[in-house]
Amino acid sequence: MRGYRSAIYEKQESRAAFLFILPAFALLAVFIFYPMLHAFVISFQNYNLIAAEHSWSGLANYRKLFSDETFGASLWHSFYFTLVVLPVQTAISLGLALLVQKKFRGVGFFRTVYFVPVAVSFAVASTIFRLIYNKDYGMLNAVLKGIGLPALDFLSNPDISMLGIIVLCIWRAMGFVMVIFLAGLNNIPDSLYEAAHVDGANAVQRFFLVTLPLLKRTMAFVVIITTMDALKIFIPIYITTSGGPAGSTSTVVHFIYETAFKQMNMGYAAAAAFLFFFLVLIISIVQLRVFRTDVEY
Amino acid sequence: MRKRLLVLSAALLATASLAACSNDNGNDGGSASPGSSQPASQGASSSGSSDEVVTLSFWRHDYAPEAAAFKKLIASFEESHPNIKIDFQMIPNDQYETKIRTALAGGNPPDIMALDAPTLASYANQKAIIPLDDYFAKDGNKDDLLKPVVEGLTFDGKMYAAPNNEGTIVMFYNKKMFEEKGIPLPSKNVDEAWTWDQVLDAAKKLNDPAKGVYGWNPTPWGFVGHEGAPYSEMAFLWQAGAEILSPDGKTAKGYLDSAESKKALTFWQNLFNGDKVSPKELPQDAFWNGKVAIHVDGPFAFQYQEQNFPNFKLGEDYDVAPLWKDARMIGTTGSWGMAITSHSEHPDEAWQFVNWVTGVEGSKVWYEETKNLPARQSTFDAFQELKEYPMNIYAEQLAKYGHPRPVTPAYPAISEAIRLLFEDVGLGNADIDDSLAKAVKKIEDGIATLNP
Repeated sequence: MRGYRSAIYEKQESRAAFLFILPAFALLAVFIFYPMLHAFVISFQNYNLIAAEHSWSGLANYRKLFSDETFGASLWHSFYFTLVVLPVQTAISLGLALLVQKKFRGVGFFRTVYFVPVAVSFAVASTIFRLIYNKDYGMLNAVLKGIGLPALDFLSNPDISMLGIIVLCIWRAMGFVMVIFLAGLNNIPDSLYEAAHVDGANAVQRFFLVTLPLLKRTMAFVVIITTMDALKIFIPIYITTSGGPAGSTSTVVHFIYETAFKQMNMGYAAAAAFLFFFLVLIISIVQLRVFRTDVEY
Repeated sequence: MRKRLLVLSAALLATASLAACSNDNGNDGGSASPGSSQPASQGASSSGSSDEVVTLSFWRHDYAPEAAAFKKLIASFEESHPNIKIDFQMIPNDQYETKIRTALAGGNPPDIMALDAPTLASYANQKAIIPLDDYFAKDGNKDDLLKPVVEGLTFDGKMYAAPNNEGTIVMFYNKKMFEEKGIPLPSKNVDEAWTWDQVLDAAKKLNDPAKGVYGWNPTPWGFVGHEGAPYSEMAFLWQAGAEILSPDGKTAKGYLDSAESKKALTFWQNLFNGDKVSPKELPQDAFWNGKVAIHVDGPFAFQYQEQNFPNFKLGEDYDVAPLWKDARMIGTTGSWGMAITSHSEHPDEAWQFVNWVTGVEGSKVWYEETKNLPARQSTFDAFQELKEYPMNIYAEQLAKYGHPRPVTPAYPAISEAIRLLFEDVGLGNADIDDSLAKAVKKIEDGIATLNP
């Protein structure tokens, strides 16, 4: 009797659990999984955005991607962007978090100041940076000229244009990452620092032997989120440079956008999106393995 | 484990939400303040057959002065056609093309859509818009339309759109700077346009890096990411004697990579990297602020100057002259028109509206409101000011030396290939042969996708 009752209870429990999951799952299914499946099908077609009929093309879209120099260049631009942004942004944000974690008068002011860029719309920030970067009349170059340095033509020099985008993106995202690190830092018990101090560890040792290892989870989150955000960078590029000068800031997402909506070649764009999706997926899995942690505190 | 799943699904979400956002189309708009004019009174066909009220949707990119002209024409149209209502929607300029294309893809486009001439063939080729020849034969006064306009709106022998106006670009120059340096002023006769070398010669004298003054800005909006750039860049190719496509439109090989093209691109490369008389980054309103001595712009520039730089006067501070030339004299043409989508259930009523706006009388109202270059001879005949300086330069250059952009469904690929070609060479100082090979490949790819 008792066993029977608990079986019913468990059944009810799992039914309730299923009901709780249902709304979220339904939303995901309708707005994410179905479109993804559809896009996956499209990637095997000759699919003009506005055409009424579409023919099958097999693997032709994927095969073409592997010999497409423009796509290859856009892949490189995305990875270059990520390879620079990931370490630099993480280091700056962690540094800021360590600074503003200290309790002193006016710390709230600094926390706010560093966080403000996050609240600025990406589109607005991009538009303003475009004005700041202007070679002849922008604020940046006016300042550089004033202190006798050569001008930086971020908007028209293909060699450094990506650095301009990188500066903009780090400026905007560092506050957000800083807050995440701050939360992670506050989770580390003071007793550990005290113990390390008693054992004679200096500040540098405390940072590398206590802070960093215990931040591993936070670090994993930051690294994975930053990597994904960086790989699919689009808005600032669309607004500040449109992929230029001379295609030097055309990232994968920009390539996909141009192909789908300007060239109206939806099939090819979908294939590029899926290839890129699998790349990002693999990178995320590898990162999760690397950051697997047993440290509990 | 749960956490890992979470992060993984976050990764899925993140990459799945690629694409989308917005598009830029740009190109020329017109500019005007709403002037005063009589509502069009047109002897077009009488209003529809039934008493039922038909509502037609009409989409266009948002541009204030032209929107005012549309509202006026719509008001007069609805007054004389009580059974037809126009649902006019303005789409932000940089989202227009994306919005119209997604609407076409989703099967719910408007009845009437505005389009920029060179995009016409892509829409027509996919049967998204209908041919208007029968309508034009009935009451469209096609003979009245200028030849390059008709050419630019005809695909596969059929005409798919009715033009609101025509457009072309001419040379603007800072008269005071010319006089200061003792440079003779260019002729106002379109048959005596300055050659590239003459303009370059003047530009070198006018160039003054210390004061931040550039001698010659050869493209109206600088290196922009939209149609505005290739619009003026193509003129350089044609002027040198090059073509972009073979006459049958099937290939760019042997045409775009010709010796003439190389000559044009070598000249272009020198402007930005050799003599450095041209700005790689065009500051806002550079010409009107005296930061550029020689400029290029459309007829809408006059109204822009009047509204924003009233003290920088035509005839005193600046003047206009025909566009430059090389082996040939050519000015790119083409502007916006109106097309009827194949989705529309009321094409006859849609045509009545299109013809009301773009017909003989509608065109006059449009000119008065927007001051854009007319597409109809009758409009040219109706306004004395079009025969006088400065508009006569536009009008005569258009009639004698106008050249539409290629009418082919591969145009989106061509537009981008040309834009990147001139960026590679101008901004990137890249090897001309390599850049040309890249551009040809891009166009060939674009043509190949059309015929899988």
